[in-house]
Amino acid sequence: MGRMMLRGGTAAIALLAAGAAHADKAADTLRVAFTKELESVDSYFNSAREGVVLQRAIWDGLLYADPQTGEYKGNLATEWNWVDDTTLELKLREGVKFHDGSDFTADDVVYTVNFVADEANGAVTQRNVNWMDHAEKLDDYTVRIITKEPFPAALEYLSGPVSMYPSDYYEEAGPSGMGLKPVGTGPYKAVSVEPGKHFVLERNEDYFDGPKGQPTIGKVDIRTIPDVNTQMAEIFSGQLDLIWQVPSDQAERLAEMGQFTVANESTMRVGYLSMDAAGRSNPDNPFTKLEVRQAVNYAIDRQTIVKELLKGKSTTIDTACFPSQFGCVQDVTEYPYDPEKARELLAEAGYPDGFTTEFYAYRDREYAEAISSYLNAVGITTDFKMLQYSALRDLNMKGEVPISFQTWGSFSINDASAMVSQFFKHGELDDARDDEVLAELDIADSSIDPETRTEHYGIALQRIADQAYWAPLFSYNTNYVFTKEVAYTPTPDEVLRFHTATWN
Amino acid sequence: MTALPDIAEITGPTPGQQLRKRMFGHQGFMIGAIFLALLVLVAILAPVLAPHDPYAQSLGDRMVRPVFMGGTWEHPLGTDHLGRDYLSRLIYGAQISLLIGAIAALISGLIGTTLGIAAGYFGGRVDAVVTFLINVRLAMPVVLVALAVVAILGGSLNVVIGVLGLLLWDRFAVVMRASTLQIRNREFVAAARAIGCSTPRILLSEILPNILNNLIVVVTLEMAHAILLEAALSFLGLGVQPPTPSWGLMVSEGKNMMLFEPWLVLIPGAVLFLLVLAINLMGDGLRDVTAPENRN
Amino acid sequence: MLRFILKRLGLALLVALTVSFISFSLLFLAGDPAIAIAGESANAKDIQAIRELYGFDRPMLVQYADWLWNALRFDFGQSYYFKLPVADLIAERLSVTMTLGVCGILFALLTAVPLGVIAAIRPNSLIDRIALFLSVAGQAMPSFWFGLILIVVFAIQLGWLPASGASSWQHFIMPTVVLGYYAMPAIMRLTRAGMLEVLSADYIRTARAKGAPEGRVLFKHALRNAIIPVVSLAAVQMGFMLGGSIVVESIFALHGAGYLAWESIGRNDLPTVQALILVFALFYIVFTFLADVLNAWLDPRMRSA
Repeated sequence: MGRMMLRGGTAAIALLAAGAAHADKAADTLRVAFTKELESVDSYFNSAREGVVLQRAIWDGLLYADPQTGEYKGNLATEWNWVDDTTLELKLREGVKFHDGSDFTADDVVYTVNFVADEANGAVTQRNVNWMDHAEKLDDYTVRIITKEPFPAALEYLSGPVSMYPSDYYEEAGPSGMGLKPVGTGPYKAVSVEPGKHFVLERNEDYFDGPKGQPTIGKVDIRTIPDVNTQMAEIFSGQLDLIWQVPSDQAERLAEMGQFTVANESTMRVGYLSMDAAGRSNPDNPFTKLEVRQAVNYAIDRQTIVKELLKGKSTTIDTACFPSQFGCVQDVTEYPYDPEKARELLAEAGYPDGFTTEFYAYRDREYAEAISSYLNAVGITTDFKMLQYSALRDLNMKGEVPISFQTWGSFSINDASAMVSQFFKHGELDDARDDEVLAELDIADSSIDPETRTEHYGIALQRIADQAYWAPLFSYNTNYVFTKEVAYTPTPDEVLRFHTATWN
Repeated sequence: MTALPDIAEITGPTPGQQLRKRMFGHQGFMIGAIFLALLVLVAILAPVLAPHDPYAQSLGDRMVRPVFMGGTWEHPLGTDHLGRDYLSRLIYGAQISLLIGAIAALISGLIGTTLGIAAGYFGGRVDAVVTFLINVRLAMPVVLVALAVVAILGGSLNVVIGVLGLLLWDRFAVVMRASTLQIRNREFVAAARAIGCSTPRILLSEILPNILNNLIVVVTLEMAHAILLEAALSFLGLGVQPPTPSWGLMVSEGKNMMLFEPWLVLIPGAVLFLLVLAINLMGDGLRDVTAPENRN
Repeated sequence: MLRFILKRLGLALLVALTVSFISFSLLFLAGDPAIAIAGESANAKDIQAIRELYGFDRPMLVQYADWLWNALRFDFGQSYYFKLPVADLIAERLSVTMTLGVCGILFALLTAVPLGVIAAIRPNSLIDRIALFLSVAGQAMPSFWFGLILIVVFAIQLGWLPASGASSWQHFIMPTVVLGYYAMPAIMRLTRAGMLEVLSADYIRTARAKGAPEGRVLFKHALRNAIIPVVSLAAVQMGFMLGGSIVVESIFALHGAGYLAWESIGRNDLPTVQALILVFALFYIVFTFLADVLNAWLDPRMRSA
């Protein structure tokens, strides 16, 4: 019946495709679906993937990181160098215009940096901007960015989340005005914004010749369709040209149909179990015992989970960071799947009959269920609790979570500090509270010598693995599905770049 | 020797016998009752009937098709997205639905009946307050409020049952109030009052038995209502939590693959539909046979 | 009549006030909204700052009074998520929900009333039995399931109707059917019962005896009287329906108020949820109020109630 249905569907698509010429390639419009309702288009005031996609289309950063090699290139800046540990001097590109026709100059950089770096202005993702103290104008096309402390990952941030806004317009319109009527320098300009629902972008005919290259597709029409099924129904019936973040099972079936191109690329998001080793939820909780944490690591068949559930370019992960990140040393203690050993370790820890624990998760119910089922199999009975992110975060900060399935995307920052230092520096989300790890990370985070950094991240990561504070599980991947009329090569940073999409 | 006439032939059937006869003669009631009885049996015998452990996952055997779609008898109704046996989950799911329906109806029945009888019997201020409460309750958007509360407290069987029980008492109150109003001035109530029976006694032994028929009808309807609402909450992800096999949750989980494996959605949805249909048929039948004059 | 209306109006306002208070207290228990506002990267200090900024550290009754005072001026505060005024957000989404509600109730009336009439003309006939069965079956059909099946059949397999969105009238067909069918059984039963009662009334018999044509008897005399309670039921159902559109809107990705409510719950966007509960409650209150007034106007005996 499934097959029949599928064939029926395919026939209907063929019929529709013949008659549906009212948009898409003929109209030079790429029709895309977003899953999530975006809270604001202003990239400093949302924390969503969709927001990053629009940010890269509408705005530019001072620098640009090649998504394949990670190499930094000039974008709105053409040259840059560290004057001292905390001062970065940049030469700006001349002749760049914002979508509203105003010139891009040092004033725009100074205003943008000073605005977003000021905590009082409430940029949502503080860690993207709070490393900057302020910016200074030297002349119309030279600026200095002063960091609060030595910040080795500065270039990574300047080529990622930090983009340049037009000073006059931003001062007048503010974040909410910018969210409704965005103005940037990027390859696409926003011509219509219905908050959370519908966005229309148009090619910026005057886009400068930068590292992003010139956009080719004339128009991008983005609708929010929260349900994946509906998205697929729409791409079947010729109402959409590209969908992304398609779950692995559906992507696999769509690929089998042969009607669409299915492209898969890994992402920086890592899934892991965090365990209350510090005993914050209860000083006597089982996870304070090293053997129990090791048992959890041995109990989960990560390979099968990756092969059967995540598929694509996902891999198993052994460290508290994503392998491509700078400093994410890989030769640490590993825990292969060994349920027997897990049971032995539990017995050694004094739980020959296992124990019962609350098990929290906030996303990917399917994975979380599979994981808890593996724990059940070795005798750790789980009381499964699926919460909203903020609710789980609340419990986490109060230290009331014995074990939870968490994920972290590092904001696509290709540096280990964006992950391991986020969680092991005794912050309110630190379940381990290991002083030794903290000391190593402090050195690694503030040094600008790459070798010193690698060495100390390595020691910290090894200690985390030995102590089994986490059970690192797997990396995520993203599927992009598009019609045969579209050509697009995805990048590993989970950012959809409209300016690199073309028509076949 | 002449056979003595049976006592029944002289006195005619008792009201109870009449009722039973009407019940057995009512098609809808019988179909509903038999199906419901079967499901209750299945739920009780789940450990015996289920071919597999409903929680045992096998990631290598995900979404195996049912036997009538090219699958094997190993998994007669196929497996779900984690390779768990669909038939076994369906069987254990009957426990969840029936449990939620029964307990939610019990809680709401207690609240609604108490309020309804009080309002109907005492009238005046009590009636005004209860009527106001009913109005407030009716004005609250049930799905929205239930979702919000479950989101706050976290989804679990107890929370869902509690929320539904506390939200679905309105029909009990309305019907019980009206029924009590109808009989509170009848002779036998007046007689009980005249011989000095206490109020609680009048309520329990004079009023309640005489409105029991209506109460049972509402119980069935609200049970069906609670089961449907639980399924809808679980479908929206804010009901019973995995790995508990709730039918609504199964539809929700199967929904992701609906376009390719529609049976994942069709099977649990159909069973849910049949269960609610059976309860409703039974309720309607009960209304017919207990109050034939009210049928139209 | 005026006294009746004023009395009912007062009651309606009191109900609205109570609902708003109950929902406010419920959401107050929801834990710390500051964390939801602060987002993934915030630390304890950021969260404390937000707590003070929004005034979450004040006692509940103070916060409620504050909220109510603003709500009376249609100011429901700012959405934590969109950072836009909740009133604007809801106003924008309401048109979809209203359209859906109106279509749904029309669909229910246009299918249920004729069915009820036919069933009443020929009681206990096959058509009566079918209609009765349909009404029982209709009430047993989980709407989320019904919606999914419609999508599979009409959007995917047959390709006749769009699966989601609200950009043309075709988009409203499936959601209308899914939303409307639930109200059908009650309307049908009431029409049938009303017709049966009226048809046995004296004046109908008189009309028939006088030799009035059957069609005229049915529609001019009988239906007109039988329809009165149906109209007030429809008004009440409409209020219910708008509250129930949450499931339908989420399935068909209609960006209406119901969908906004569901998403806002997921995002802990309490001001939006709070305002939406009140808005949906007000729908119900307004429609029942209208039904009451209509009833009283048509049937003076009701006015003393």
